[in-house]
Amino acid sequence: MPWDLKPDRPIYTQLIEQIELMIISGIYPAGGKLPSVRDMAAEAAVNPNTMQRALSALESSGLLYSQRTSGRFVTKDAEKIAEVKQNFASDVIREFIDKMDRLGYTRTQVSSLLNDFLKEEGQNGKCR
Amino acid sequence: MLGKLMKYEIRATGRIFLPLYGLILLSAAILRGFMAANEKANNLFTMPINITGTIYFLLIAAVFVMTLVVMIQRFQKNLLSDEGYLSFTLPVKTHSHIDAKMLVTLIWIILSVLVIILSVFILAVNQNVILSFEKSYLPFSDWFTSQSWLFVEYIVLFLVGSLSITLHIYASMAVGNLCPKHRLLAAFGAFLGFGVIEQIVATFMAIWRVTSLDDTADLSIVILFAGVFGVAYYFFTDWVLSKKLNLE
Amino acid sequence: MESAVECHNLTKVFPGCIALNSINLAIPKGQIVGLLGPNGSGKTTFIKLLNGLLTPTSGQILINGMKPCIETKKNVSYLPERTYLNDWMAVHDIIDLFCDFYADFNKAKAYDMLQRLGIDPRNRLKTMSKGTKEKVQLILVMSREAELYVLDEPIGGVDPATRDYILNTIISNYSENATLLISTHLIADVEKILDGVIFINQGSIVLSATVDEIREKENKSVDALFREVFKC
Repeated sequence: MPWDLKPDRPIYTQLIEQIELMIISGIYPAGGKLPSVRDMAAEAAVNPNTMQRALSALESSGLLYSQRTSGRFVTKDAEKIAEVKQNFASDVIREFIDKMDRLGYTRTQVSSLLNDFLKEEGQNGKCR
Repeated sequence: MLGKLMKYEIRATGRIFLPLYGLILLSAAILRGFMAANEKANNLFTMPINITGTIYFLLIAAVFVMTLVVMIQRFQKNLLSDEGYLSFTLPVKTHSHIDAKMLVTLIWIILSVLVIILSVFILAVNQNVILSFEKSYLPFSDWFTSQSWLFVEYIVLFLVGSLSITLHIYASMAVGNLCPKHRLLAAFGAFLGFGVIEQIVATFMAIWRVTSLDDTADLSIVILFAGVFGVAYYFFTDWVLSKKLNLE
Repeated sequence: MESAVECHNLTKVFPGCIALNSINLAIPKGQIVGLLGPNGSGKTTFIKLLNGLLTPTSGQILINGMKPCIETKKNVSYLPERTYLNDWMAVHDIIDLFCDFYADFNKAKAYDMLQRLGIDPRNRLKTMSKGTKEKVQLILVMSREAELYVLDEPIGGVDPATRDYILNTIISNYSENATLLISTHLIADVEKILDGVIFINQGSIVLSATVDEIREKENKSVDALFREVFKC
């Protein structure tokens, strides 16, 4: 099952994002072992060198660590993962706000629209 | 590596020659059978004899033709066509390909001759023939020992000559490969051209050389002639295939 | 460390046309590189020169530091664009042939891949469809443990599922000691598995960069850039 990689952005950056998302969502759980570079590259249908670089970058940022003989693991540091999750959330929010901006809504309007929407969803029994 | 190349060459060509050899020997045996039966049955079998006899001779002609056809076709298909992409990327020297093909061609030529001789034996051997063989054995072996050098020379001439002709054809086909737009014409032209050169050299040799009364010397010159041209064709073909190869 | 492939002022001239015009490039080991260009750009000439099927008019081409010769042929695994096997042979005959001539041929791997694709090794090539023949040829080439793989249009004539299988095979076969050169028109499919790309046109190299460099700089895929650069 190939990952969702867009054609006009560097693959390397997209791989980092995708792996971070998988860690946040628990597909690669905290403290868990990652598959080999080759297996991950095959799954994503990308060049193993590129996958290797993405994984190395994530190691530098502290989200992954490697043990010489056993392979690569996701960090056990829950705070670290929460931090990454937070960053993603911030990006999503920023994007949302920008879009609403372009539609012409003020910040106050955005806030009340959001509250109304969430209330309605709660009433309709939608759980998250 | 040469052995391996020859193995595959034999495999590719064997399925044409071996059945052919089998058929020749079989038809010789059947013909023999009909002839023997004919004697006893008052010429009842004349028709089958004529048919089988014709088939027998056609098969022998076929062997000669097939040797030539297969030689050309293998060189063209395996080296100068799509298969060339495999042949020339194998980790072997270019001349090994030439060696393998010419040696296997020679093997088939020798086998063809032996099979024909054997078929004649099958046809003709009977008590009388065996008796006359036994009678002539001693005088023959005397003659043989005294003339053994001649006999050897004939065999050498046969071998060298066969290889020389084979290489003459290969060299012509190599020229064909040099002219991608008119392959057939170029190859045929080269074949004739090489032949003309051979004739010119032979003529000069005849003019310069005092005609010898000794048969043996003549034969050596012919062998040398065929050998030198063979070697020249060999190196030419090797050069074309190594340096001027242009597969399409 | 030597490059996998190196060219110094490589030139190849045919009567009436300059196929390659003083090419200089170096492909490092362990990379998967795409050789991209329109028909007649010099791609095929370059590949033939790599394999010793043509000799340079001038300049040099080196594979692991050596000119094309028997030694390089032992280490280069080549997949031509055409069917180059004898139709009369059965698949297992061809496997035996490869075993005979190539020390680095992995028989078990070949049979495994054949089985996974449902190809019966007893069948003669004559009886197979074009697509199946191409799969067989690819399996033979990828079953060698070579240092340089040269694939000329490896996914050209096959269906999308097989295409994925082929690309997957290429990725899984990858090793740091092996270098892969893929010549293709189907850039969009192949782009993600490439380290770098070389655009070639009319005998000269137009561009040589990594896929990510191109995407970063141009904000478009290599496929999109190719269409721009080689617009008719």
